[in-house]
Amino acid sequence: MNIDIKELIKIIHTLPVSLIALILSNIFLIAGFVIGKLAMYKYENAVKFFAYFSVVMCILFVLYFISVLWFAISNLYFGNMPYAAIFLVFLFLPFIIGRFASYEKIHLYTNIQILSLIVSLLLALSFI
Amino acid sequence: MTGSPYEMKKMGKALFKADFDVFCHCLPGHGTSPVNIKTVRWQDWYTDSVAHYKNLTKQYDEVYLGGLCLGAVLALAIAGEYRDVRGILCLSTTLFLDGWTIPWYNFLMPVGVYTILRYYYSFPEREPYGLKNETLRKKIAALQKRNTEALDNYPMSCIYELLKFSKFAQKNMSKVQSPVLLIHAKEDDLTSPKSAEFVYKNIGSAIKKYIRLENSYHLVVMDNERDFVFNACIEFLNGLSEYGSQTQKLPHVDDNFTESAGLL
Repeated sequence: MNIDIKELIKIIHTLPVSLIALILSNIFLIAGFVIGKLAMYKYENAVKFFAYFSVVMCILFVLYFISVLWFAISNLYFGNMPYAAIFLVFLFLPFIIGRFASYEKIHLYTNIQILSLIVSLLLALSFI
Repeated sequence: MTGSPYEMKKMGKALFKADFDVFCHCLPGHGTSPVNIKTVRWQDWYTDSVAHYKNLTKQYDEVYLGGLCLGAVLALAIAGEYRDVRGILCLSTTLFLDGWTIPWYNFLMPVGVYTILRYYYSFPEREPYGLKNETLRKKIAALQKRNTEALDNYPMSCIYELLKFSKFAQKNMSKVQSPVLLIHAKEDDLTSPKSAEFVYKNIGSAIKKYIRLENSYHLVVMDNERDFVFNACIEFLNGLSEYGSQTQKLPHVDDNFTESAGLL
């Protein structure tokens, strides 16, 4: 597959910042949760690692929330009500998943979280 | 929170010497590994403590409750539900996590606490370990390495449960009618005196006393002023049991605020 870098940069330049932030935060969060899931039991005693890991994940989540909100508001502004509603759901989804999560079922809930991030990533990519 | 009965050993001994029968129990999830504490909910702590309290009321006519940190919140919550609690000792009551050792990235806490990240994140236990006394601090650091059943980190899920339990306790604060002694260090590293002040202002108790320590951090039962703390607790409990033996009604005392310096 030939990727024209110049063409790609041109496309990125035309994208709104909120969309770029949404795509990037989604990708990093998915990667972060996959790493966290794999490392959780293996390196459970690495408290410092998980402390820094979680701080980075929290920052990414903040970026994700801002971009989702920004995106939802801009969709609302341009009259795309269904998209605005869907993105608002994605804004609250991490908290809803967190509300029901338990340590015993952490892998299941992490998978649900990853799945929701993949869906929001695909949705964001559909705007390109 | 994440502590063990070991931390309360000296306090228990002091009370026992003063002719009180002392019972100290280890809360569910505590005293083992951080994994176990991640699986418990605040309801587990509460129901377990209530069960122990009920057992004690079957054996004794007068039961006083006391605790440090989460233990103090538990004692208040039980007293809110059971009016027959004769007195409460609240040491370093933790309703809010706003002490000076809380990391700078604390503002991110809601994101960590209310999402699944809480099962990934733990605050590593670090200096000063709740102690102002440097000699003791070194001792505790060494003891922690030798597994004294106190955990070396605070899992975020535990903080989540504490915050939820704190909300429950705050709601029921006005129902607390039992006499309360609040002891809190001015420089508490985990929770500022705001928590103790909240309790002092909002409890329904007629008898309440608040002592603010000047030379301790969070672990007031081990730190520089531990003897002062023990004596203040014994004095308070003796006072209550004396009143209890004379009349069933306790005297009304308000605005009993004391600084530790120069008291003893």
